[in-house]
Amino acid sequence: MVKLRARCIIVGDAAVGKSALSQMFRSDGGHFQKNYSMTAGVELLLKSVNIPETSDSVGQYIFDSAGRETFVGACEKMWGQPSVVCVVFDITSLASFNSCSRWLERVRAHCNGLQVPGVLVGNKSDLSSRREVEAAVAQEWAQSQGLQYHETSAKDMENCDAPLLSLAQAFYSLYQDRRQMIQGLG
Amino acid sequence: MINAALSTFGAQVVLATSSDENHPPENITDGKTETFWMSTGMFPQELIIRFPDNMKVSLISVHSFNVKRLRIEKNAQEEADKFEVVAEKEFEQTENGLQINDITLDGSTATHLRFLILSGYDHFVSVHKVGVQA
Repeated sequence: MVKLRARCIIVGDAAVGKSALSQMFRSDGGHFQKNYSMTAGVELLLKSVNIPETSDSVGQYIFDSAGRETFVGACEKMWGQPSVVCVVFDITSLASFNSCSRWLERVRAHCNGLQVPGVLVGNKSDLSSRREVEAAVAQEWAQSQGLQYHETSAKDMENCDAPLLSLAQAFYSLYQDRRQMIQGLG
Repeated sequence: MINAALSTFGAQVVLATSSDENHPPENITDGKTETFWMSTGMFPQELIIRFPDNMKVSLISVHSFNVKRLRIEKNAQEEADKFEVVAEKEFEQTENGLQINDITLDGSTATHLRFLILSGYDHFVSVHKVGVQA
């Protein structure tokens, strides 16, 4: 049995639903916060994710980081060295999608050149009638950046466990990879 | 003594902040470089080795992989607390082999040695062997 630990940084524009998603991650889809409350700093949540078909798990230290520009500088100082990254946008806001590359760059600047597994999350999939970002477009950009793409609705509790699970699996396979490599060294 | 397994002197790892049952912390004191303890994510990582008696320590050798910054602390008490810093070192990165580093101390006595891995060259680091010279 192995328990890995990962620092998971969640970023994206203000009001795309990062905190609602984080709460979903933590409560296994049990809690949707209906009222908007702006995150002014970083909120830390802890969630253990089991790796299917093993007895292993990844403890995710989720850093839900403010999206409002005013607070970003202060938040970045809390990130430390990220293990995995989750970039969130709102599928009804093209502007929030266009910001994703800037968010990703910001996080990668803290990674000391390390390979950091990541996901792109298109949130608010319940509002598909107001969709401004096609899934295919998001998928393509995600792929070009080495990210896995997921669409979620924190409100409808739709697919909310997928992003964290895919991050946990990616981090887990990175661990297995390194373990085997080191085994060959001794 | 530096080449002998620390475990034959009754030394044991009493705290490790990571554990993979395939790579337990005992692998550090078994004297072999083939077996190792591996960190399982995030820094810092901590290891504490306890000696059965007060032991004079003048040199510590560490076989590791991808460790960047290491701080060593010691104490000479029965309890594993109130440590003092005795060395801090940045290891060089290696590609195809283990990092082998010797750290010279002043030869004073210790009952516990605490290793704090403050940073690494990768998400995960390994420690294969710790040797001590009196």
